[in-house]
Amino acid sequence: MSIASMQHWILPENISDVLPPEARRIEFLRRKLLDCCSRFGYELVMPPLLEYVESLFTLEDAALDLKTFKLTDQLSGRQMGLRADITPQVARIDAHLLNRHGVTRLCYAGSIVNTRPDGILSSREPLQVGAELYGHDGLTADVEIIELMHSCLKLAGVESIHLDVGHIGLFLALADEAELSGDLRQAIFNAMQKKNLPELATLTAHLPETIRKGITSLPQLYGGVGVLHDAARLLPDFPQIRSALSDLQLLSEALQLLGIEVFFDLAELRSGYYHTGLVFAAYAPGWSNAIARGGRYDRVGEKFGRPRPATGFSVDLKELAWKLPPPPARPAILSPDCIDPALIELTRSLRASGETVVVKLGDVMDVDELKADREIRQVADKWIVVPIDV
Amino acid sequence: MSITIALSKGRIFEETLPLLAAAGIEPLESPDSSRKLIIDTNHAEIRLIIVRATDVPTYVQYGAADIGVAGHDVLLEHGGAGLYQPVDLRIAQCRLMVATRVGFDYEAAVRQGARLRVATKYTESARQHFAKKGVHVDLIKLYGSMELAPLVGLADAIVDLVSTGSTLKANQLVAVEHVLDVSSRLVVNQAALKLKRKQLQPLLDQIASAISC
Repeated sequence: MSIASMQHWILPENISDVLPPEARRIEFLRRKLLDCCSRFGYELVMPPLLEYVESLFTLEDAALDLKTFKLTDQLSGRQMGLRADITPQVARIDAHLLNRHGVTRLCYAGSIVNTRPDGILSSREPLQVGAELYGHDGLTADVEIIELMHSCLKLAGVESIHLDVGHIGLFLALADEAELSGDLRQAIFNAMQKKNLPELATLTAHLPETIRKGITSLPQLYGGVGVLHDAARLLPDFPQIRSALSDLQLLSEALQLLGIEVFFDLAELRSGYYHTGLVFAAYAPGWSNAIARGGRYDRVGEKFGRPRPATGFSVDLKELAWKLPPPPARPAILSPDCIDPALIELTRSLRASGETVVVKLGDVMDVDELKADREIRQVADKWIVVPIDV
Repeated sequence: MSITIALSKGRIFEETLPLLAAAGIEPLESPDSSRKLIIDTNHAEIRLIIVRATDVPTYVQYGAADIGVAGHDVLLEHGGAGLYQPVDLRIAQCRLMVATRVGFDYEAAVRQGARLRVATKYTESARQHFAKKGVHVDLIKLYGSMELAPLVGLADAIVDLVSTGSTLKANQLVAVEHVLDVSSRLVVNQAALKLKRKQLQPLLDQIASAISC
């Protein structure tokens, strides 16, 4: 066999099949999370896998643009993209299709594709599950979304969750006051996310002292509640900064009442490409990255002609699943390969009661692979279920 | 929770030791005398791992180590995804420079606007540097002995680290342009900084204060 034909079965980089044990685990999680969202009143939507690029991301979303696979629509000649994020699609549904005036709660689960993986080990086809709340700009909406995310992660089996919250308004207030734009604004934003203090010091050297001090303080403001006091001391007293800090204070008090401990990272900006206010990320021991992220993005609907306050979160189930223990599998029952009305009736009633009944075909049968612990046997003209003799 | 620190052998290891000592951390063995890749310290819950300098960001990014020491040059090539780089340790300092054969008219070659052939290990930094200058280049990735490339006609120029300049001189090369100043940075895994903050924060603070004095 030539090398070329031997390699036909190889999948592209960072694209993989999901095999039985992993698939069972991911599907178990998908159902748990969607059920959890449903119990909070979130309705399931299924946006398409691909649509015109104009609605997948805005022009300012250069990073999301680069992450999107594109193709030409044979029917219209227009450029289409494979979704790299479902959130903007759900925002489009809320703004244009549902057109409700009050609060709309939507959830979704589906594959997205990225041109480039987020890390060497990340899949380029994450399975994104998330929930979005539209039409309410108050803190209670943010609290609800965070509580929902927290409940989802708990239900999924994540034992210790570290929740970090931040507020993009802090960076925006400083950047707007200093009238930062273009490359410099982007460079400062990038350095901020990496807590790259040496670089920030260089980039801000020519800025007014209050702004420089504010920008270089943000990456160091992380940890417990003490952070908010330090922030009030170190950041300039601008109205947007005062209001962002008070939002964070109120949010943490509300979550504390729900039994959710909150930490802060005031340079936490990287939740998404479109966030405008409170942002949050959940970390847990064992994962080298955030396992869930979200925040407020009040301006996305604008592009669809109807600005709506919005907040939401999303999780990559593939990333979440691989560190979690597999869900308990119910052991199967083996059935003989035999057509007999009584056997068929027994098999049907067992399956109706939720048992897995597998017909034994052929001679080679790996009982371990099927995880079977019982079998159906004929004893004195009657079909009965007995434990498998080892 | 235990802490793993990724370091590379040689200059970075030697110059990091006093900083670790300031934080009360002493390795129990030297990587030069021991062939072990995991080195215990005087703290039961802190260990060092010895990896190639270019691999330090990768180990830290994936949480195989919580913190590490990596050169600015290495970080630029890696891209820094998943890492915080809060502290410039001001160790292992040198400069990334463009160098050519003695007598090569670099200015004229740049002015002319023709594609310059550049050999380097630091392709990302070189690409950014020449893009900023508006010069088109053909990059040739090499893994060592860059100085040879202009001498045997493989490249017009090289981009390489220069600390004393003696290697350039010995090979009849001359540094013609400064790309960036390089020193080593402390890099921290983002999730580790959140989840192990109680242990990591004092360590980071002690190291940072050891530098400023």
